[in-house]
Amino acid sequence: MPDDGARTASTLEEIPPAERTPIAGVKEALQRRWSRPGGRGYAGLRWGGAGLFTAVAVALVVSLLSSSSQAFAHSGLSLLWTGTWDPTHKIYGAETFIVGTLITTAVALVLAVPIGVATAAFLSELAPRWLATPLSVLIDLIAAVPSIVVGLWGLLVLTPAFAHHVEPFLKKIPVLEWFFHGPALGPSMLLAGVVLAVMILPTMVALSRTALAGVALTDREAARALGGTRWQVVRRAVIPGARTGIEGAVTLAMGRALGESIAVAMVIGNAYVIPHSLLAPGATLGSAIINNFGGVTPGLDRSEVIALVVILLALTALVNAGGQLLLRSRAREQVS
Amino acid sequence: MSPVATSTGLGTGSPGDGGAGLGEGAARRRELILAQSKRSLGRRHLAGRVAVALCMVAVAISLAPLVALVAYTTSRGVHALSVDFFTKIPTPAGIAGGGISNAIVGSLIIVGLAAVMAVPVGIATALFLLERRGRIAGTIRFTADVLTGVPSIALGIFAYTVLVEPFAHFSAIAGSFALAVLMLPVIIRSSEAAMRNVPRSEWEAGLALGVRRGRVVRSIVLRGALPGLVTGNLLAVARAVGETAPLLFTTGSQLFNLNPAQPTAAVPLTIFSLGTSPFPADQQTAWGAAFVLLVFVLVLSIVARLVAGRLNRQAR
Repeated sequence: MPDDGARTASTLEEIPPAERTPIAGVKEALQRRWSRPGGRGYAGLRWGGAGLFTAVAVALVVSLLSSSSQAFAHSGLSLLWTGTWDPTHKIYGAETFIVGTLITTAVALVLAVPIGVATAAFLSELAPRWLATPLSVLIDLIAAVPSIVVGLWGLLVLTPAFAHHVEPFLKKIPVLEWFFHGPALGPSMLLAGVVLAVMILPTMVALSRTALAGVALTDREAARALGGTRWQVVRRAVIPGARTGIEGAVTLAMGRALGESIAVAMVIGNAYVIPHSLLAPGATLGSAIINNFGGVTPGLDRSEVIALVVILLALTALVNAGGQLLLRSRAREQVS
Repeated sequence: MSPVATSTGLGTGSPGDGGAGLGEGAARRRELILAQSKRSLGRRHLAGRVAVALCMVAVAISLAPLVALVAYTTSRGVHALSVDFFTKIPTPAGIAGGGISNAIVGSLIIVGLAAVMAVPVGIATALFLLERRGRIAGTIRFTADVLTGVPSIALGIFAYTVLVEPFAHFSAIAGSFALAVLMLPVIIRSSEAAMRNVPRSEWEAGLALGVRRGRVVRSIVLRGALPGLVTGNLLAVARAVGETAPLLFTTGSQLFNLNPAQPTAAVPLTIFSLGTSPFPADQQTAWGAAFVLLVFVLVLSIVARLVAGRLNRQAR
């Protein structure tokens, strides 16, 4: 959509000057029309909105960077690979939190991606319509459950259940037990990962469903014509066809898991050591920010916590930008 | 066994004659191939059935925790509800009774203010994206998409640095600002999509009548896209009302407060502080607050979807 008067003006510019005189009056009239209060006001509104939004986005980055500059001046980039967080001795390191964030996110993805894609495949390809529609609506609605409610449920219901039933059970499984040594306490990296998986599953299902539904009918027909069974069509034509979209869904779900803070803070146990088992308590960037920002003194300590925010922001922005680009490339593929 | 391999196998086995002219060896080969393909089809159907069953299990696994969560919150939360629950403020830690009136009113103030800040800016930005192509619009759209994924705790700390630190105390406005930043990208993208659905011909009809562009947008585009705008904005509000992290360091108080410049309680914050308390009485109140929040969010989402459903029916 061209800008208001701009196109009219530029086409007028193309007319040779000799023929321009009678039209000049029209141009003037047009310009007068745009200068009437409604036209200017509307342009101002659009530019104002866009400008304000951009200003807020810029301010977000600038204010967090400037508030954390003291921390980066003190610790430098070694903040990223120092494993100790000890404000009393002025030693600050985010490694524990970064590792914790990555582990919990990995656990969440291992659980949520296969289950999410299978659910999406069932809802969009295999289930009869009378079943698929209400289930999809249900999952979409459940996506709206606030993270604090998931966190409360994780803290008061899942934590005791994990301590007494799930974790002792996992320790008995051969091979897998290697991941689950150490005492079963309840609050753990595993529990945090499970809670995150519950939170990102609806996102995973909804986005994968859109991706699967976008696969062309001709692709399905071709696979069917080659003699594929209903499942083979899904497995060999639809899911590969939706690959980019599903990858985009995974990345966005990953972004959400990386950035979740409150629910994780309630179930992870907040131990500031690098965990050697999924049953050990730990901390993520988000949970560390929540637990440290409240009582922190202004100055270096606060600046270091804000540096954690900057690290988290960079991590999620990277992942989300990747996800958006993936989803966009899918949209382009479909157009061409 | 892939479908491609099977069909080529069948193709070589039946080259188009009736079978009468085949030599004995060829006929036997054909029988063999047919039998093999039948076995393979049976295997493939079996594999398909197993896979579909596994998908059903996946559906059950993805629904079970969420349904359990909602059911448990409801069963615990209903018991906490009473008249006092909606009219009183919390009792000191561990003492039974009291309510969350301060948090309910506070949440309404904070989210209402956030909507007042975010909705006009969001719709104006959406109009900008609608009217303009090129690099600026592309950049803004990409910024909005990336901002959607910014961790909510980062927005809370951002609001803290710009609106709490300079004034040296928490306020509802600071919390609202954090929530507004959270809502903005959602509002921008959904409003843009809703207004894009208004047919070009309607814009053009208005413009051809000599109506000012601003007026066309107000009377034709905004009105035509109204259900879509309502849906998108309600979903953004539903998302904001349950957010805790942006409010944790920007607002929050134990008292009843109506002044947006002062610290104000909010339902998610109440759930967080009471839920992490060791006293069963506090936890009970937390379940009640969680139930109230859940009902509010689900009702908002359902209303939003109903509006969208009406829009779809009208379009048909």
